[in-house]
Amino acid sequence: MSREDQMIPQARLRNFSIIAHIDHGKSTLADRLLELTHTIEARQMTSQVLDSMDLEREKGITIKARAVRLEYTARDGLTYGLNLIDTPGHVDFSYEVSRSLQACEGALLVVDAAQGIEAQTLANVHLALREGLTIIPVINKIDLPSAQPEVVMEELENVLAIPREEVILASAKEGTGVPEILEAIVERIPPPKGDPDAPLQGLIFDSHYDSYKGVVVYVRLAQGRLRQHDTIRLMASGVESELLELGVFRPQLVPVKELVAGEVGYVATGLKSVRDAQVGDTLTNAKAPAAAPLPGYQPAKSLVFAGIYPLSGEDYPLLRDALEKLHLNDASFTYEPESSIALGFGFRCGFLGLLHMEIVQERLEREFGLELILSAPSVSYHVVLTHGRGVVEVDNPALFPAVNEIEEIREPWVRVSVVTPTQYIGALMELSTNRRGTFLDMEYLDPQRVLLRFEMPLAELIVDYYDQLKSRSQGYASMDYEEAGYRPASLVKLDILVAGEPVDALSLIVHRDRAAATGRALVARLKELIPRQLFEVPVQAAIGSNVVARETVRAMRKNVLAKCYGGDITRKRKLLEKQKEGKQRMKRVGSVEIPQEAFLAMLSMDE
Amino acid sequence: MRSIAGRVSPGTGSSSSLRPRPPVALYLHVPFCRSLCPYCDFVAVAGSAARGPSSRIAAFLDALVVELGLRADALDARFGPPGPGRQALESVYFGGGTPSLLPAETIAGLLALVDERFGLAFGAEVTLEANPGRDERGDPRALRKAGVTRLSFGAQSLRPAELRLLGRRHRSADVADAVAAAQAAGIGSVNLDLLYDLPGQSFADWIETLEAALALRPDHLSLYALTLDDPDAEGLTGPAGDHLPVASGARAWRERARPRQDDDRAAGQYHYAASVLARDGWHGYEISNWARPGHESRHNLAYWERRPYEAVGPGAHAFDGTVRRWNAARLDGYLAALLPAGGGAPALPPGGQEQLDPAMAAAEELILGLRTDRGVRREALLALPAGSSIFGWALAGELVELVQLGEDARVRLTSRGRLLSNELFSRLV
Ligand SMILES: Nc1nc2c(ncn2[C@@H]2O[C@H](COP(=O)(O)OP(=O)(O)OP(=O)(O)O)[C@@H](O)[C@H]2O)c(=O)[nH]1
Ligand code: SF4
Ligand SMILES: [Mg+2]
Repeated sequence: MSREDQMIPQARLRNFSIIAHIDHGKSTLADRLLELTHTIEARQMTSQVLDSMDLEREKGITIKARAVRLEYTARDGLTYGLNLIDTPGHVDFSYEVSRSLQACEGALLVVDAAQGIEAQTLANVHLALREGLTIIPVINKIDLPSAQPEVVMEELENVLAIPREEVILASAKEGTGVPEILEAIVERIPPPKGDPDAPLQGLIFDSHYDSYKGVVVYVRLAQGRLRQHDTIRLMASGVESELLELGVFRPQLVPVKELVAGEVGYVATGLKSVRDAQVGDTLTNAKAPAAAPLPGYQPAKSLVFAGIYPLSGEDYPLLRDALEKLHLNDASFTYEPESSIALGFGFRCGFLGLLHMEIVQERLEREFGLELILSAPSVSYHVVLTHGRGVVEVDNPALFPAVNEIEEIREPWVRVSVVTPTQYIGALMELSTNRRGTFLDMEYLDPQRVLLRFEMPLAELIVDYYDQLKSRSQGYASMDYEEAGYRPASLVKLDILVAGEPVDALSLIVHRDRAAATGRALVARLKELIPRQLFEVPVQAAIGSNVVARETVRAMRKNVLAKCYGGDITRKRKLLEKQKEGKQRMKRVGSVEIPQEAFLAMLSMDE
Repeated sequence: MRSIAGRVSPGTGSSSSLRPRPPVALYLHVPFCRSLCPYCDFVAVAGSAARGPSSRIAAFLDALVVELGLRADALDARFGPPGPGRQALESVYFGGGTPSLLPAETIAGLLALVDERFGLAFGAEVTLEANPGRDERGDPRALRKAGVTRLSFGAQSLRPAELRLLGRRHRSADVADAVAAAQAAGIGSVNLDLLYDLPGQSFADWIETLEAALALRPDHLSLYALTLDDPDAEGLTGPAGDHLPVASGARAWRERARPRQDDDRAAGQYHYAASVLARDGWHGYEISNWARPGHESRHNLAYWERRPYEAVGPGAHAFDGTVRRWNAARLDGYLAALLPAGGGAPALPPGGQEQLDPAMAAAEELILGLRTDRGVRREALLALPAGSSIFGWALAGELVELVQLGEDARVRLTSRGRLLSNELFSRLV
């Protein structure tokens, strides 16, 4: 394939991300940019074409940032190479956004003309400013009858000091304003720096595993150049290999002969071991290596932890393999082996949030054909041991030290920003203070909308705070949060006993004052979630040896196909097969079959 | 066929051999009812299709005769014509719907045709399902003359409020009248179908129905827990499916009724009935069926013993020893195939089939056998991979008191096991 883009000089390269609050139209805008630049033919176009993962399409949200190379002939008659990165909007993925921004000189800030500035708008703008990027503000969805571009411009000016002259009004749906956006990208965003003739330094920002090409790494070249048949070296692992292929994303992988400083592309390394090529490592040329690697990324900080276990113990090696491969494609979760008395051998995993946890589980199940059980999620505690024996980090309630070993427990706090119409302020204040939160301050975005700031324990936030926020504001409020350090707390471990046996995977750390109430609510919920068995199953919550709540799942009395005549045996057999499948999806703990939902019962308790 | 064939030796009984065999029973489905009951899952149509000038009954009967002919031709081709060399039918069953809506002469005509084309054994059981209502129960004397030996009445309840709730046309007094008339006409066996676990049905309500039913001195009782299924969700109601789509009114009725059912109460109702019937000398020969000794339904036993049976009519199911086959439920498609417009050659109606492999056959044999009081041979259970674990589970106390081993080396469900049988069966499939 002869490709002119290799001729595009560095001065005509532009790297930018599209950032916004969730659902404000980033991926739809990306669709229009792909179309206008003929990267994808109109007839091959689907909506949010970059959301190619099944899960993304089902949920209608972007989960993973996606890079694409566009070629755009501007009004000045010159052809520019644009590297676009579409980013996710959900709060769990702000780490993904910040990594994307590090590969760019500019960002398209998309704001919904009907919604205005939301919590992630603010968070993402701050990330972009911290990276020193040029921001191109776009007010999107101006086609909506409820669009209020004037009000939103006002907000941008007041809250983010973005002058209204810079704002482009657009409808990603209808294509309005998109040509202006392309011109602005060329005019306003500076080209990448980096000497093409210096020794090669390429930052690995993502990767995936291909059974033919081995580990395929996605790189942005900070300096130097990369050609076919070069021998590369990964600076952290020291591994070398002759590269099999290099290319760009259009958005499918298209091979090219050369990548130069400032460009974004992929390299098929041929390496078989996923551990040899990690995200954040620096790629260099083995013959003329760079003196030092690039700074890499701050490792993602896991906030939520849960055990992942195979439903059937024999699948443990498959799970380990799947975690390794998935980790290539999502470096933001952590995993290490652990074992549970109830669930057997599995892995303790750290996630960026609950949505991230759900997505990792679903991807493992779908992409690797595994059936999994997750234990109750937890945050990570700092436990100060008695007699000056130091501090241990505990992210698994089952491993909490005995009470007499604990001097003090500290739990993680977060600073929560909530953007809401003023009429819901009261309801959201109440919600947050009920969650042990403290109110910090309030700022008016415009006469009808405010930014509220709270601090609260992270553990309180992960338990359906977001759902509650949405339901108490009829969907209008949005939120974002950031870490706010560890603080001492009066916490105790709540053990759950099923059929008289403690089930470690159900243990929780809870606030002492509310321990009994939480125990009652949890046990009541478990009674609903654990199906009736052939025998009576008591479910108890205990603090130490003190039982604080008890319910009984009564014995099953009837499970019968009353009628078995009319000769319709086939249907009966299918019904039985369905029952069998249902049972196989549950985890046997002792002699009790417990479904996945029960392990997540804490997320769906009544307040 | 799966490689499991070599591993499984599911008993030596002829019933499980995977050879096609001629039928020992015939089922005829008559899909018409005076009105539709909201809980009903049978293939039934009512309204103008079932009466008046645009009734489809006449066309249906023509089609049924054509289907009987085609099925008989096929059997002749496989097994030779009926006669001394071929198994004659031991049972004929008119099910529905409400077959008692057909005139007795029609039944007589159909039976004559069945005898001619399939061969009807001397003393064969001939069952007809009937509704107890005055305008739908038929004339028992004429039916007896036509050859019917067994009448099965869809009584469901003997309490007026429950009959209303169930959308039934008859009153409880009609049940008594119908049974008395059948007995007076000399019908050899009279069955009553009764339902427990009705929405809001108290324990006392159930006892009342049961005692009123026993006072009528029936010969056979089928006691069914009301089961509110959703055949649409099971994917059974497509054009070739063996069920009809659920009407929206019926769906709403079921949704209202389900929360007013109760497994615990149902279990109590069942165990109560089982012990009363045992005390009075009834033979509980299947999970839901009781007979005075000698009145067991041979037709239903053929199903449970996996003997081959032929079937005609919309939604009817047949089995030849290796293949389970069914007709689609929809009347239009049934009529169109068998009575083609323009006088073309009739074809068999749409439907589906399933070839059993040895493992499926073995599981079926165990499940159906365990449903009856004959149980299954211990070795047959052990021969199935899951079967041996059943003993393990039973020993480990998990399937506590669900099965017992008799001195005759046969395994049977306990009375607790009968109500929890799916817990066992779902481990066998
Ligand atoms: N009316 C209108 N709807 C739009 C426009 N742009 C996007 N949408 C709709 O807004 C919804 C969200 O669009 P996406 O492009 O998926 O938003 P996103 O910002 O990529 O969302 P996340 O990746 O989940 O953060 C979709 O239903 C789009 O069809 C627009 O200009 N006008
Ligand atoms: S009478 Fe019987 S077959 Fe007819 S609708 Fe009622 S339950 Fe169904
Ligand atoms: Mg998106």
